[in-house]
Parts: sequence; C-alpha cells; structure tokens
Amino acid sequence: MKIIVAIKQVPERDAQVRIDAAGKWIEESGLQYALNESDAYALEEALQLKEKHGGEVVVLTAGPERVGPTIREALAKGADRAIHIDCADLGSRDALGVAKLLAAAVKPENPDLILTGLQSDDLGQGQTGVIVAELLGLPHSSLILHVEKTDTGLTVKRELEEGWFQTIELPLPAVLTIQSGGNKLRYATLMGIKRAKTKEVRTVTATELAVDSAPVAILERVVLPQKQKSTQILPGNPKEAAAALVEKLKFEARVL
Amino acid sequence: MSGIWVVVEERDGRVSRNSWEAVAAGQKLAALTGQAANAVVIGAQTEPLAAEVAAKALAKVVRIEHSLLAAYTADGFTLALQQFIEAEKPYYVVFPHTYQVRDYAPKLAARLGQVLIGDVTAFAEGPTFVRQLMQGRLNGSYRHSGNGPCFVSVQAGAFRADEAQAGTAAISTFAPTIDPAQIRTKPSERFRGAAQTVDLGAAQLIVGVGRGIKDPANIPIAQELATALGAELGASRPICDNGWLPMERQIGSSGQTISPKLYLAVGISGAIQHLVGIKGSQCVVAINKDPDAPIFEVADYGIVGDLMEVVPALTEAVKAAKQ
Amino acid sequence: MLTLTATLAEPEHFSLVEKLLLVVLVAASAAGFWRRFGVVLHKILKSKKDPSFHLFPIGKRVWDFVCEVLFQTKVIRQRPLPGLAHAFVFWGFCAFALVTLNHFAVGLGLGFLNPAGFFGRFYTYFAAVFAIACAAGIFGLFVRRFLVRPKWLGKKLSWESGFIAFLIFLLMVTYLASFFVGDADQATRILWWVHSLAILIFLVIIPHTKHLHLILSPATVFLSRGGFSQIPPLVGDEDFGLIAGTDLTRLASLQAYSCVECGRCTEHCPAANTGKLLNPKEIILGLRSYLNDLGPASEEPLLGKYNAQEAAFQCTTCGACEFQCPVGIEHLPIIVGLRRGAVNTGAWEDEYGSKLFLALERGANAHGLPASERDKFIEKAGLPIFDGTQEYCLWLGCMGGYDPKGREIIADFARVMNYLGTSFGVLRKEKCCGDPVRRLGNDLVFQQLAESNLEVFEQNKAKKIVSICPHCVRTIQEDWKEFGTPPQVEHHSEFLARHADKLPKQANGESIVFHDPCYLGRYRNVYEQPRTVVGLAGELVEAPRNHERSFCCGAGGGLVFLGEESGERVSKVRAAELVATGAKTVGTACPFCNSMFRDALAEKGEGAPQLLDIAQLTARGLPARGGS
Repeated sequence: MKIIVAIKQVPERDAQVRIDAAGKWIEESGLQYALNESDAYALEEALQLKEKHGGEVVVLTAGPERVGPTIREALAKGADRAIHIDCADLGSRDALGVAKLLAAAVKPENPDLILTGLQSDDLGQGQTGVIVAELLGLPHSSLILHVEKTDTGLTVKRELEEGWFQTIELPLPAVLTIQSGGNKLRYATLMGIKRAKTKEVRTVTATELAVDSAPVAILERVVLPQKQKSTQILPGNPKEAAAALVEKLKFEARVL
Repeated sequence: MSGIWVVVEERDGRVSRNSWEAVAAGQKLAALTGQAANAVVIGAQTEPLAAEVAAKALAKVVRIEHSLLAAYTADGFTLALQQFIEAEKPYYVVFPHTYQVRDYAPKLAARLGQVLIGDVTAFAEGPTFVRQLMQGRLNGSYRHSGNGPCFVSVQAGAFRADEAQAGTAAISTFAPTIDPAQIRTKPSERFRGAAQTVDLGAAQLIVGVGRGIKDPANIPIAQELATALGAELGASRPICDNGWLPMERQIGSSGQTISPKLYLAVGISGAIQHLVGIKGSQCVVAINKDPDAPIFEVADYGIVGDLMEVVPALTEAVKAAKQ
Repeated sequence: MLTLTATLAEPEHFSLVEKLLLVVLVAASAAGFWRRFGVVLHKILKSKKDPSFHLFPIGKRVWDFVCEVLFQTKVIRQRPLPGLAHAFVFWGFCAFALVTLNHFAVGLGLGFLNPAGFFGRFYTYFAAVFAIACAAGIFGLFVRRFLVRPKWLGKKLSWESGFIAFLIFLLMVTYLASFFVGDADQATRILWWVHSLAILIFLVIIPHTKHLHLILSPATVFLSRGGFSQIPPLVGDEDFGLIAGTDLTRLASLQAYSCVECGRCTEHCPAANTGKLLNPKEIILGLRSYLNDLGPASEEPLLGKYNAQEAAFQCTTCGACEFQCPVGIEHLPIIVGLRRGAVNTGAWEDEYGSKLFLALERGANAHGLPASERDKFIEKAGLPIFDGTQEYCLWLGCMGGYDPKGREIIADFARVMNYLGTSFGVLRKEKCCGDPVRRLGNDLVFQQLAESNLEVFEQNKAKKIVSICPHCVRTIQEDWKEFGTPPQVEHHSEFLARHADKLPKQANGESIVFHDPCYLGRYRNVYEQPRTVVGLAGELVEAPRNHERSFCCGAGGGLVFLGEESGERVSKVRAAELVATGAKTVGTACPFCNSMFRDALAEKGEGAPQLLDIAQLTARGLPARGGS
C-alpha cells in the first residue's frame, strides 16, 4: 500500500500564548514546535499498516523551513520519504487554501490511502483531510480509531459521541482522518534518527503548485479569553456548594 | 441569496439537544443580520422531526427526504444539501458542531468553494464568528469574505437549547436526486465498546476516591455519585493497595492515565503520581477537607468540606439536574 | 607416631624415567590448560575494543589492585568470615609461589631452595603457616558451600567447587605432611607425586571453571572502566548498545569470564530480594554462556535465550552489585548497555516507558506536566530567578519543580540558604536532567536533554549548582560530560554540612534513621555529610543496612516512571526495615526516596514515623520565618 500521511508542525502544547504586535496571531519568536498530536497517531496507523501489508509511507507537510525537524522525526519513526511544501504564508490561507496545496502535491503520487490527523493543536478546525478528499474526488471517513485492509478496500472503526462506535466500509483509494488514542505511539529511537539521515525529502514550493489562495474565512484578530484557568472554590454549606457546582458543570464547563 | 438555514439532526427519532442549540443560534444570527431563520431536516422519514422543528419561531422548515438518506453518509448528505443550497441560495447555513457535521460539512462547503467556520462559541457584530484556538487558550474572530453561502457550526453548549423561541413554521419538502453509485461508504449500526469490566482510559466521566474516604464501608457513597453521573469509579493508589477497590481502578502514573470530560477527586490530596494520571482531564473538581491539599492547584472547581456530607449532597443535586 | 623433622623433606634423586614422566605430565597439563584458556583469551581479545578506556591515570588502578587483590579488602569487609577464609587461601597461594617452583625443580634435580639452609628453613616454615591457614580456610569454605548452603551460592551444588576444594586441601596436607618425613622415605616420594599431580590437574581445571578468576581477576580489577557505573559512549552510526555478541567489548568479555559465582551481587540486589526475575549474577553468567556457545562475533541477540529482556528492565541501577563484586565486574554498564540495545532500536515495547520517552521528547519534564506548572510554583514560592550575579544556581529538577513534596523540600532549603545569607536563583526554564532516560538506555532523548540543558547553563553563566536530588547531581556531573562541560554541581547535603557550624543545633531532637540514597552513597561516596545534618536535628539512628550497603528505595533506573513491579515492592521492604529501628523519623536526602517511602509508611497508619528530608529537618530548627 502506498500511504501518504499529511502532518502538521504546531506550537508545543505547553507554549506560552502571547498575542503578536498586529493582534492577528500569537507571537512566534521563542516558541518551540512539535508534531501535531493526532498526526502522530495517523503516522502510527500508517506505519502499522505498512508493517502488515508492505508498501510505502510518505509524509507530506506544508510550512516554512522550521518544519525540518518534524519531518525528520516522522522519518525517524519509520516513514520512507517526505514531501515538503515550502510555504511561508500558511497562516494567511484558510482550510480550503491549505487543502488545495496538499491535494496538488498528492495528486501525482497516486496513493492508495491518505491519512491525516483529526485536527491540529493550534487551529483545531479538523477540516483539512475532509476537504482534500473532496478536492481529489475520493471517499473519506473521519474520527477513525482503527483501520483494516480488506479485499474490497477498508473497514474502519469510527468514533461516535457518548461512547458509541460504528464500522464503515469504503473502497480504496480513500482519505481518513485519524483520532488520537487509537494506537500506542512508538517513541523516536536513536536508530531511527540515524537511518532518517539517508531518506529522501523532496521540496516543492507553494508557487510551483499554482493553487489559488484567496481565503474565504478570514481570521481577523485574536484575543486572550476573559477567564483564565484558576480554581473556583464554591462556598456555602454542602447543599449550597453542591447545587452551585452542578450549575457550573452544566452551563460553564458544559460537561454534564 | 437570502436566509439562514439551520441543519437539524436527530437522536433516537427526535430532534437532538445540539440541534435545538443550533436553532437558537440561528435565531440569534437572524436578529443580528436581519435575515430570516429557517431549518432543514434530512433523512428518509422526516415528517415527525419536521413537525417538532416547525413549533419554533422559524419562517420555513424544509424536509429533505430520500430513501438513500436513511442512514447518514457523507456522500448522501453532501449531495442532498448541495442540491438544496444551489436551489435555495442561502446567506448562512448553520450546523450544530457534531461528529457527524464534522464529517460532511467541510466537504459540502469545499464543493461550493466555501470554508466551514466551525465550533463557533459566539456571534458578534459584522457578523464575526468567535471560535477557540490553541486548545482554548485563545479566541479568534472570523469573518466570511466573498460571494456564496457562509457555513457555520456552533459548539455544543455555546447556545442554550431552552432559548430557541417557539412559533410556527411552514413545512415543505425537497427531493434531491441521488444515485446509489454515488454513496461510496457503507456504515454499520452503531455499537458500544467491547464489554470490559473497567476501561478508565476511555471513560468520559470519572469519580476518584482517595484516602479521605477513610473506610471501605464509605465507598458506596462515592459509587452512588458515580452512578448518578453515569461515571466510572476510580481510585488513588493507596485505596487499591489496601484492596478496597481492584487494581484496575488505580488512577496514576503506575496505573491508568485518564482523560475524561469530568473528573471528580473525592478525598484525594494530589500526590504527583496521581496528578500525572489525571492531567488529561478536561474539567477537574476536587472535594477535600484540607484547603491546602495540592489537588486544589489543578482543579477547576473545588469544594472544601467533609466528603461524607458533600458527596451525598452532590449526588442529590446531580439527580435533580438530570430530571 | 609422626615426628616433626623440622625440615621439609624432598625426595632424593629422581630417575630419568621419572624426570621424563614429569616433563610429559607438565607438558600435557600445560597443553590442557592452554587448550581452554587460549580459547577464552581469544574470545576476549577478539571482542571489540573499548572506545573510552584510558589506562592513565594509573594511580587509582594500582591502589585498587593493591587493596582489593593483594590485601583482599573488599572480599573481607563485605563478607567477613568467608572473606577471611578466602583471603587465607589466596595468600596461601601467593606464599606458595616459590615453594611450588622449587617443588618442580626438585623433580628435575634442579632444586634451588635448601630446606635445611637459613633462608630455606625460614621460607618453608613461612609457607607452612600459610598452608595451615589455607587448609583451614578451604575447609571452612567447603563446609559453607556444602553444609551451610547459603542461598546466594545458588541451589545447585557445585561438584567442581568441591573437587577443587579437595585438591587445594590435598596440596596443603601433602605439603605439611612433608615436615613429618625424611628425605629418604618412600612416603616422601609418594607425597611429592601426589602434590605434583594435584597441581597439574588443578592447572587444567582452572580455565574450565570459575577458577579462571585466579588468572583473570587481578587483570579485571586493574582494568576497570575507571569510575563507578561508568557508561561508555556510543561510537559511530551503527552502535546502539549491547544487542549481539559483536557489541561486547573486551572489558565486558573479560568481566564475564571473571565471575566467581559468589553471589554477593545478587545478595544485595533489591530486585532479586523481592521476587523479581532479575539476578545480577545470572546476567553476567548469561553473557559468559553466550560467549562460550556463540563467541563475540555472533549476531544472535544477547537478550533472548541467554538473558531475559524483562530482567534487564527490573534494575533500579542502585549499584549494590557492582559495588560488592570482589573480582571487578561492572554490572551497571552491562545492564544499561543491554537496555540501550533494546531501546535505541525500538525493541523495548513498554506502555509506561513509551509514555516517558514521548513526554521527554516533546516536553520539559519526566511527568509530562506542562512547564507552566513549574513557573507557577516559582512565583508562588517567591524563588529568585538566576541572573548570573548570585553565587548558586538552585536546580529544581523534576521532583523539586513539580512534586508537592519536592516543592516543600525546595522551599525549606531556600529558607535555609536565605538564613545563611547565601545568594541563589533558579533557572527560568529547566528540562529534565535526563537521568531516567539515561538509565533506561534512550540515548536519543538523553542527548537532546543534556545538550539543551548545557546550553541553558552556558547562556545563564551558571558556575555553581546545588540540587536536592542525587540523581540530578550525578547525571549533571558525570553523564553530561559526554556532550559538554557541565558546571560544578553539589548535593544539598554537602552544602549544608559545610555550613553546619552556622546552623542551629536543635534541642531534644527525636531519633532519626537516615536512609542512604544509592546515588549519593555508592555513586558519590557521600555518607557523612547528611549524617552531620541529621545530627543537628536529632539523634542519628543507623538502619541495619547502611552506608555502602544501603538498600535501594526502588525508584532508580527510571523504574519510578514505569508500571507496577512484580513481586514485593522494594520500597515496602526497605520501609519496613527503617520502621523496625524504632526511630521516630525517617530522614531522606533524595526526593525520590521520599516519594517511595511516603506510600509505604502511610500504610503503617497512625504509629508510622514521620518522613522528612534533611532540608526540612534543618529548616525546622531555624527561627520562625526569619531571614526570607
């Protein structure tokens, strides 16, 4: 199977969030970057499929030069080669614009399967994979925890709300967006990193891919939310405190 | 182009709570933009659903019906809505941000050259749409540009279902053209996870007991709270070491790592091994009689008090809220 | 009735036939010896060279050789009675050198020692004293092995040991008996031949048994790696640790063949003592079997048939094994080497291990907690930030920065430093020192952490570091050396002891039993400083196993981050030992020991001793909230 895994390099989860001077994004200087969490699971799923059925795993990512280490990390974990879409203005494209870049880079590869993580840790839209499927005219399914190859294509396990699941059958080629937690992730090893040095990384510029990029959904500005995370101690006697807590859980935290 | 169309989903044959929230959102957007609010229901047998929705203050309710829409598929729903939108030409299409919507709305939007502005938590003047970035540490304001409908989905709980105003709407039908060959995915019936005794790692709601429970005879108090919440019961290491609860219920670095929507730590002080196990929890509530217990540092909400009194009170309050 | 003739009898002239027979037998024995020894030597020499071995400085090597080999210090100190018995056997052998040489010379008519002459008489009596001691020693050891049967020698009775004991005894008896006969007696000639045959048979047996240590162990002791738990660097792009025979180095092979099977390592191993699979002796013997069966050029995995992967990952790296070994075997580089081979290639699949590695790959600390938690603590505790002007940089570490108890220790230590007027600051950002991944064998993550931290120290111009955690101290001081020059670092017990005269002596202090942390005691040789500090707070009580024999708390080797142990919990065993001393307080000097004992002591309920770090013991004696 030839599997393409689209991965994204995002600011580290612990990153301190400060707004930049223009008020349109966060201050990027001093940030540490890492592989997006659900993309790590997508990569793991691809590697396990390769181990079972043979073939090739190609990682695809769009971004500026700093995505290099993330590509190497993916190669170190077992991907065979990488395609880097060199693009310095990723932030000014919307989900459709980014998906157009990815679809253009994927098309000549003719993969059997395209995997993406469910959503990115920074923007969290969860759309890129679904849009890529539409642009390439391929069937897709999202929130996938488990993938199995069958004679007619794939059987996948999809997560539904509130602890329900369903299986979906679909033909190949297809696109899947992978949910975190479906597999145990493998750690990067010294051996993997050393081997990664000899694997191919092909760079293609965004201009070469010649897709139009005028965004339809524009992020105008970002602000820090009013309520910062702090502990709310609920006062009163047990009955009062309990009632206040239930109110908070229902309407503020929205977990009940 | 005109109108706001809210896409309504069903749950067990009735309109889902998220959909009522989307209707309320649609009505708010109508007030903001001066557009009329309408709704669509999609499926193979939409009459009862449409009747429910038509009891709200909406101009029109359209039943998009086709036999191939009986079970949800991305291809089916996208085709149906695409045809409807091309005919109706709405300004806004509003969805509840459910797993199902996430599976097809981006596809639908892309097909029409648009992008879904998803998981919106509020509307503002413009209109601009507010959504969370960086896992809730940032709020972003989005604006739609260009011609063509604006697709928006609203976060569960961001709008209140009980604020969907009542009224009467005119019901009509729309029959999309769908060929069976166009439906490429085959979904199964939904099912629960494999029957395991305990899978704390997957549980969405968990109540954890610690040394503060003092006696194994008191554990049922916590169990009752868990049952009322529909939650799993877990414990810190000392409880499992004593054999008061089985080892598979241990939460901590050498036991299970949990990531529920809600974790209630009852009588747990917050040793690091435990804190490491719960750090994936979305919302942490701590109940402890020691106001200096480290658990309060990581809790979103806390009650300082005797758990023997607080927990039963909480159980009652939860039961009352669920009615 | 035997009469003491006062001189050693030597048989009078040997016939040509006898001389020829002697020559043939000696040749045969030598050939038999070489047939096996040559193979062993070849396997050792054919093993890969040790990349970081330096013969110089030679002073320590000579000193260790003199002490441990010639004076048998470790052999005696760690197991006094059997050790002394062995020492007598060894010294007996040494004393007999000339005697044995002369013995064979006599057989060829070339005897050079005149038993009646002044020197000869002196020397033969001298040797006789040793012969008695040696005979007594070997007899005692025989009784120990075959009648007492201590469990550390293993369940199976070693008949070869019995036979060798018999031969040695026979040698001593035949020698001593020669004082009771005359030169011309028939008995003398018989004794002479029996003695000779015993030696020649012994010679052949040596390389086939653990008695190989007679020849190898002086070299093994002399050729140690140069430091305790000295983990060698990986060399080149294809070196990932000890995976197969081809990865075994000369030192590893030499050590594997030197094992005497005494079981001192296993006797003190916390894993072996709590029902785990790990047995340090078996690890070494597993290597030996591997080398015997397959040799150093084999690609067959070391972890598999000869040693279990599970065992290798049950080691807390406490170092008791390496510390106890009387023949210079260095277990820790071997165990860590085996772990490296498994981890650096991804062959080790462990849920908790992967979680630890992924947490450190991405983030700053071993717990996987956001770094902002540490920032919050620094702010709340009002700790000053290091800006290059303060004398000390206070290293928080993963426990001091994130663990509630660790933070209490830091806060108390900061109080003490303020009281003493010592300026200090904490780094704005810290990453885990890398100790757990270093001991588990993940060189990729360790290198990343070490290099990142070294750069931070460089940028902040931190010259002196003080830490509350012996693991951090060791890793920073020794293990980071592979990637740069770490600044000077010390443990807070060393700092506090140095300032002991300025710290208040508490009146009516309770009994405090001090637990020596493995990484402070055996690894760093720091025993008295924490005791000085404890002495200021109360009355020092020693645990039965103390100083270099301290029994591990179970957290080391990265194990505290892994899942539940099999068998009994190490921490429980040690906690029971500490509680049994009757002390009111358990004193610790390591936040991991503290953490491990916390749960174990809590199980004891109301009567449990309190648990305090030496910083907390010191701080409680300070005037209330003074000097902060």
